[in-house]
Amino acid sequence: MSFFGFDSSLPRERGHDTRAPGFSQAADPFAGPRPDDDDDALDFEDTYDGLGDQLDETDDAFNDDTFGGESLPTAVAKKPVGKDFDFFGQTAKVSDAITEEQLRFSRQPPSSRIAPQSSNVNQPGMKPARTGYERYKEPTVVRDMQVDASLWGPAVMKSQPASTPAVDAPITPGLPSGGRKMMSLEEVEAAMRAQAKKPSPAPANSPYQPPQPHEQPSQQHQNFSHQGHQPVPFQNSGSPRDGHQSNLGQQPQQPLHILQRSQAPPIQPATPTGPSQPTQLQNPGRYVGEQHRTAPAVQRPGHQSRPSNSRAPIITHPHQLANLSEEERNAFLLEDAKRAKRNHKIFVLSKDNGLMTPQDKNFITRIQLQQLVTATGNPNEHGSDPALSEDFYYQVHNQIRGGPRQHPGQPLSNFAQTYLFQTGGRHGGMRRQHRGGDNHMQRMEQQVARAVEAAKNKPKNKQLVIEGSLGKISFSNAKTPKPLLNIKRTDSGADVRPSSAAHNRKSQLASIHGYDRKTVLLDIENVYNTLMKMEDHERHQPPPVAADDINPELHGLNQDWKIRQDQLNAELWHHLKVHEPIGGPNIHPFIAFLSFSKGKKAIPRVFRHITGEQKTTILTMIVVHLDQLDVVREGLIPQGDIQLNASTREKVELFSLAVMHTLFGYLNDADLAIVAGLLGLILSRTNTELISRTRIGVSMLTMLLSRAELIKQSGGNEQEWDNWVGMYNTFFDTLEPTLAHIFPGTVNTGEDVYVWQFLAAIGIGASPEQQQRLVMAVKDRVMDTVSHAKTLPAAMSSQRLANVNLFMRSIGLDVELLA
Amino acid sequence: MADVDDTASGPVSEPLDLVRLCLDEVVFVKLRGDRELKGRLHAYDSHCNLVLGDVQETVYVVEEDDDGEETVKVGSMSLWLYSCVNWQLQTINKKSEMLFVRGDSVVLISPQGSL
Repeated sequence: MSFFGFDSSLPRERGHDTRAPGFSQAADPFAGPRPDDDDDALDFEDTYDGLGDQLDETDDAFNDDTFGGESLPTAVAKKPVGKDFDFFGQTAKVSDAITEEQLRFSRQPPSSRIAPQSSNVNQPGMKPARTGYERYKEPTVVRDMQVDASLWGPAVMKSQPASTPAVDAPITPGLPSGGRKMMSLEEVEAAMRAQAKKPSPAPANSPYQPPQPHEQPSQQHQNFSHQGHQPVPFQNSGSPRDGHQSNLGQQPQQPLHILQRSQAPPIQPATPTGPSQPTQLQNPGRYVGEQHRTAPAVQRPGHQSRPSNSRAPIITHPHQLANLSEEERNAFLLEDAKRAKRNHKIFVLSKDNGLMTPQDKNFITRIQLQQLVTATGNPNEHGSDPALSEDFYYQVHNQIRGGPRQHPGQPLSNFAQTYLFQTGGRHGGMRRQHRGGDNHMQRMEQQVARAVEAAKNKPKNKQLVIEGSLGKISFSNAKTPKPLLNIKRTDSGADVRPSSAAHNRKSQLASIHGYDRKTVLLDIENVYNTLMKMEDHERHQPPPVAADDINPELHGLNQDWKIRQDQLNAELWHHLKVHEPIGGPNIHPFIAFLSFSKGKKAIPRVFRHITGEQKTTILTMIVVHLDQLDVVREGLIPQGDIQLNASTREKVELFSLAVMHTLFGYLNDADLAIVAGLLGLILSRTNTELISRTRIGVSMLTMLLSRAELIKQSGGNEQEWDNWVGMYNTFFDTLEPTLAHIFPGTVNTGEDVYVWQFLAAIGIGASPEQQQRLVMAVKDRVMDTVSHAKTLPAAMSSQRLANVNLFMRSIGLDVELLA
Repeated sequence: MADVDDTASGPVSEPLDLVRLCLDEVVFVKLRGDRELKGRLHAYDSHCNLVLGDVQETVYVVEEDDDGEETVKVGSMSLWLYSCVNWQLQTINKKSEMLFVRGDSVVLISPQGSL
């Protein structure tokens, strides 16, 4: 209102409005086109037209009781009327009915017209609230108020019957306040009783007779009697109207068109023939759905407290229907069914308002998956780096385990894509029900496709040079952050050569203490780096070429891959330092390499990537330097102690697990010549006594002897065998003096299984004469063990005896014979 | 660690390379908040976030005794604290099988051998 400046300049006009609200209001030229402003103005005038005074607020507290939780239906009723409510469309629907009624009304006897008019005068308050929209629909109405009064009359009447004023107002037209006031239960009963005395003329009424004052009670009466068998929807349908009519304050909440539409019923003569059509025009259609849901439970008590109120408006309608022509009735029914259907639909749709629908959830999931897809890159990009970095450890682990997965890029992002498309397909089935989700889904799929595409293209141009700009724009994302510091990192392959040259100098200059520790550590790191490169390279292996395949590209790929592999192999070999000259004053770099636990752990991985020749070289290297290995050097149990210290034991354990196991696996494929050669190397190059007194040394010897025995049993080259026997005899002669000392600790420690295994390996290959000497050498230990076993519990005892038996059986004896 | 300069031109091109050489070795780590760790270095990154195994953690806690005077529980490492008469000397040790150390608290990493 300040917008118009009316407040200050035209105070009198305001005053005039309040005094004659209905008519001056109607003349307002802005009312139609600006409903918003009208609302404001209307509210203002509502407070001044005396309507508020007429309202009896004191009884409002009982509204809920009276109308059965009225707040519920109104709250529900408000919901469907959104901001986008089509006022015009809705009003237009009833415009036909209105004109029809006008015609009909004009034909009615003038006497019947009086009542509506008077009631219209009684209800000036209703008008201001409506005017804006009325005029919007029918602008011409403004001028001929007299004629249109007939139009308004019914509306008022219709709104009246629900509340008790419907009964009173026609009788006492001079008291508008009475019409507005809600009747107490006693009053209603009194009125009903009074009217029950009158003869009920309803059935005899002519079809087009307007609602007479005395008729209303009869309707109520009839309703009352029918109460028992009235259908639930019927009862429910009355309640919103009740609330609406009895409480004017509700008007702003309810769309005005409802009032208009509901004009139709009251204008029809009311013949109480029975409530056959419960949810007709009187009841604003949109309530039906909600009422079916909420009303039966909540509202029924309210009805019972005031039965007449809830029934009256509904009843009128069926009469009206009954009086309509067949065609009209059908039209009504049809429209009504349509409305009910629509209301039900709205109800169903609004059931989960405020909650996430499956579609919402799907939307979120898709966003997340889209991120996943873009993050991991294109799954079709073979072995893409992002995919690798995404689950590197799993893939490495899988590769070492020899998992079935060939392409690391496959699984993760493939999962995401599969999911995306699958759900897309699955929702295809649901589309029929949710047409809204259809577009959405397609859009989503397109988006994902586009995002994947973008992600594919992105890494290719990390920088953008805008024309005319002086600098570059570099992109960054979470995966590849913008490099703020650019530290040039020399390729490890390139920098190793010079540094290793330096190491060579260093190692030559190094003291007797050994190869420079840091250099060894560096070598180990380089080996690991190369190993990782090789493993990575292995993942990029192109598909094998079939014999008859002449695909040049594939051949080229394989060739490139092979070349690269050879390069890496050379690099690895270089870092292993196996080819450093043997016999320098200090420990060989490779042996130093093996003195670190991580060096030991590298061996199994190294063996997967090197050739058989290289393996033989490594094995030879280890055998040659067997007595220099830390596990052998420190493997001697110090005088006085029963066992090695913890760290050494750990080392020995690790060595036998990692290195010996690997070597053993390789040696199982080696032929006799290699085995004989290795044994010869041990005899000629190493301290046999030291070796035979350490666990690793003994294990190595056992490995060689048992392998030779296996080859012998499978048959072999006669000359090689002779060669081996000669070697064995030398070995036995060398070893014999030490045999008595090869047992670790005392009899009690019991950690001598490997020694018995060793003795067994010797015994199998030994000649009878050698066996004799063997038994003589270890006889004491055998006897001690057997006697000691008798003092032990059964389980441990049998364990010990079984160990001894390993050896005894190999020379054709048994512990049983000793017992 | 003392001979960093000697090899700076060769194997070690950046400080973290020294840490790399300590991988799988037992290292001594000094942390902010008067904590020290000794354990096997399994992994590290450019922030000096560390993963240590078989860790022995030593914590030095300052406590006030009843008189309101400061009491310090210290490990044997902080010898200088012995000079403070009112301060008690104690060590709080914890052992962990595996420990992730956030890099922002790392003050020093040293191979166990050189300390």
